Amino acid sequence: MSAESSSLGYGLGLRTPYYQAILEQRPAVDWFEIISENYLVEGGKPLYYLDAIGEHYPLVMHGVSLSIGGPHQLDRDYLRRLKRLAQRVQPAWISDHLCWSRGNAHQLHDLLPLPYTEESLQHVVARVRQVQDVLERPLVLENVSSYLRSADDQFSEWQFLAALSELSGCELLLDVNNVYVSARNHGFEPWDFISGLPKQRIRQLHLAGHSDYGSYLIDTHDQPVSDPVWQLYQRTLRHLGPVATLLERDDHYPPLEQLLGELEQARAYAAEALAGAPTCA
Amino acid sequence: MRLNDWQRELEAYLLGDDPTANPALRASLLGGPALSAEQGLAIYHNAYRARLLEALRGDYPAVHGWLGDAEFDGLAGAYIAAHPSQHFSLRWLGAELASFIDAYLVPAQAAPLGELARLEWAFGLAFDAAAAEPLSLAQMAALPAEEWPNLEVRLLPSVQWQLCHYNSLALWRACKAQSEFPGSLALEQPQVCLIWRQGLISHYRSLEPGEAAALHGMAVTGWRFAELCAQLSELGDNAPLQAATWLRQWLDDGLLQRYGG
Repeated sequence: MSAESSSLGYGLGLRTPYYQAILEQRPAVDWFEIISENYLVEGGKPLYYLDAIGEHYPLVMHGVSLSIGGPHQLDRDYLRRLKRLAQRVQPAWISDHLCWSRGNAHQLHDLLPLPYTEESLQHVVARVRQVQDVLERPLVLENVSSYLRSADDQFSEWQFLAALSELSGCELLLDVNNVYVSARNHGFEPWDFISGLPKQRIRQLHLAGHSDYGSYLIDTHDQPVSDPVWQLYQRTLRHLGPVATLLERDDHYPPLEQLLGELEQARAYAAEALAGAPTCA
Repeated sequence: MRLNDWQRELEAYLLGDDPTANPALRASLLGGPALSAEQGLAIYHNAYRARLLEALRGDYPAVHGWLGDAEFDGLAGAYIAAHPSQHFSLRWLGAELASFIDAYLVPAQAAPLGELARLEWAFGLAFDAAAAEPLSLAQMAALPAEEWPNLEVRLLPSVQWQLCHYNSLALWRACKAQSEFPGSLALEQPQVCLIWRQGLISHYRSLEPGEAAALHGMAVTGWRFAELCAQLSELGDNAPLQAATWLRQWLDDGLLQRYGG
């Protein structure tokens, strides 16, 4: 099955402030993406709402602490719990980030970039294979926003993602906003990144807002998607055809109606872009 | 630099107090005109602290309210340095804060503040503890008379047992209501505060010493119902009635599950 033909449509990140409104209003959202770690608990409201919302909408699991590039052993207990959650949620797919979030000794709770070297590639490929063996499905990995660049890089980030996908069989979650943020911060062309990825491996897109600090940007997810990111999104869809699109918001939560309006905007931009785009026929 | 060495350097930098990176780490990075390597490092250095601090403020709003921003952040910073995060989820970052307070502050301040921290953490534990089937009044009503003496119960997984020596509950309530903080006071006698979740709703209730001893005996020590009645023998003929009244209250509250039987 190609990524295009399995597009879920237009989704929102499921966040606590919206639980009740979603159940009461059943908004026209095609799917929700959950932060997996928020549901790796024993009981209570998180799991209640997860089950209740999951009865009405397709769900995708998105993790933040796999630490696929970390120096530590993969956390087998975490993977077992993730798999158990997947049995409960029946997600369309499971994603995390190409990053490391745990060091040798401690959890660092951030999506830290890797040096894009042959050594990193071998390290991550081996670990993606282990994760896929446990989860018994392809892992979907997202490009992160970054604020550091290694002097040892042997690949661009997109070359690294392409090689990783080729060697490990993983799929890609292309965060259009992260591409834009990293491109501004590190001085590359966003389109070089997106056009350099293997089209058929892109399972999902992310959209979110960032904060502008003048010469550089920070990926804050606390405001609407910016105009340049909408333009990049449209160009991406013209290039890829339809791909499942997810709008993320993680701070300064507006009323649900406002977020739904922004998702409608995504649909409208996508419809306009796809009017002349490749189809998946 | 080898990947593992680079990651060790960056981890040490993020965990350390000094926002200036050592020369080896700095030399491993490329800066650009939009974002220098120093700025990039500082973004991650600040974000690490801010994220952990935000998690602790979220878990301990009353401790935060009592201490104020500056003192709370000082305490939280010392705690994070002493207990760097070991769990993949920030949900568990603050698990040792109360014990840390016990040792970090002078006893006169540590005792009431540590107790308040334990109380706040207990609310969190009740919030997402495992669900279990509560013993209901209907089930009890259907219990044959001959089974009553051997009835055994246990607390449901969400029930948290907090022994308070101070007015921590009043402080917690003031924080919740965003009203004026009462001063910290020692109670005339220690009081048990129960915190639990019934369905999705968190509840709390203070117990009088007699009820606390009875509940502890039955649901923690493991007395059978007949033993509870025997323990209340100084009440004479009223002992079974008092035992049944409390049991009914505990069932109404949704505190108990059947054990054995």
